[in-house]
Amino acid sequence: MNQLAAEVPYLNLSDPAFSTRSPAVHAARDKSWYAKTPYGLAVLRYEDVGNLLKDRRLRQGSYAWPAHNKASGSFAEWWLRMLFNQEGETHARLRRLANPAFSPKLIASLQPKFIALANDLIDQFGKRGTCDFMAEFSEPYATRVICILLGLDQGEWRNLADIAGDMGLALGVNYRKEMETINAATGRLFGYARRVIAERRTRPPGDDFISLLLQANESKDKLSDQELDDMVVLAVFGGIDTTRNQIGLAMSKFVEHPDQWALLAERPELARQAVEEVMRVRPTTTWVTREALEDFTYNDLMITKGTTIHMFAEAAGTDPAAFPDEFDITVKRPPHYGFGAGAHHCLGHFIARGDMTEALRILAQRIRNPRYASEPEWLPDSGNTGPVTLPLAFDPEA
Amino acid sequence: MKICVDRNICRRHGQCAIAAPDLFSFKANGEMVYVEHPDEKYRNDAEDAADACPEQAITIND
Repeated sequence: MNQLAAEVPYLNLSDPAFSTRSPAVHAARDKSWYAKTPYGLAVLRYEDVGNLLKDRRLRQGSYAWPAHNKASGSFAEWWLRMLFNQEGETHARLRRLANPAFSPKLIASLQPKFIALANDLIDQFGKRGTCDFMAEFSEPYATRVICILLGLDQGEWRNLADIAGDMGLALGVNYRKEMETINAATGRLFGYARRVIAERRTRPPGDDFISLLLQANESKDKLSDQELDDMVVLAVFGGIDTTRNQIGLAMSKFVEHPDQWALLAERPELARQAVEEVMRVRPTTTWVTREALEDFTYNDLMITKGTTIHMFAEAAGTDPAAFPDEFDITVKRPPHYGFGAGAHHCLGHFIARGDMTEALRILAQRIRNPRYASEPEWLPDSGNTGPVTLPLAFDPEA
Repeated sequence: MKICVDRNICRRHGQCAIAAPDLFSFKANGEMVYVEHPDEKYRNDAEDAADACPEQAITIND
């Protein structure tokens, strides 16, 4: 059935107060599989998000994000060059180079380090019975995991977390306002990456990500010097802010569902599934984008070449046609789209899943009865989101 | 060497075709096709594809 233009819902994504999980979005989803937005379409239902994420008539769309914000400078330039804004053979070549450093076997071997790190951080505040969860757990944990993966000095974590936080503003709704901060942070991260690369060249290669890239860089056709710098910047930036926010969102979800937290403490083997359940209903990456490479018709809608299409992860993950209205870590669900899907599926998902699983498992064991000590402060609920601060009170450890 | 793909788990992301284009490809209609018994020289490629699959739908049997 053709939908009349007047019946198609409109969602104002560029409004800083817009929320991707608002009643307006859910009402739009009931009415229509898509909505119009200031930057193209928003796809709202599980089946359609899944279909279109993998549709070969669409390319990755977020390369256009700086242009949509009339942005310029070092962040915008890097953004256009780097892996996930590439397509076709260049994308495949870069992805093949990066894959081995993120393989499930390699990540599994890091599990004891994740456990030690989580315990070490909780040791600092467990007896106190209060913490700012973001500053004292989520942020150092996410950052130091990336340090472990890349073989970086964990003592640098504070500096790297600050850089990632500032660069992360580029993925939020206030990009234009924060452009100077974003570009300054990008410059700092390139400086850091080049120092690390120069230093790593003087050492025998290890099996870490940077060593792997350096071997590829011996042939400039395989990986140019610019691509090498861009990849290191992507690994640091891409891994820190997303994981920091996702662990914070997980914690807030469990504060609101104390029965599920108690269950996780009782049944630690549910931790992996808990990560999936949190990401289904409360993803930090609230949407990923695609752009039409040609004119085509989908569900009777004519989509013209160049149209930007936003795939709403939370709306898809809570679509009543696909999921019951509940938060339950004991249920195995169909895959969510919190890591995107298709050719641009998140490269770092095994590490994110692995480190978040260990974090939640250990937190549930040690942080009993968590509640908000005061109201958390939140990033806008549009673009990449999460808590800025998450003040917790809980039963102090003996 | 035998490549097995669990079609019930496969979500057609296409990461296998990026990791090992000689072994995995997609038809125009989105259907995934693969070489079930590849030459031994493709073992590393096959393992890369198995590792890269987001759903871990690919297994390699000797």
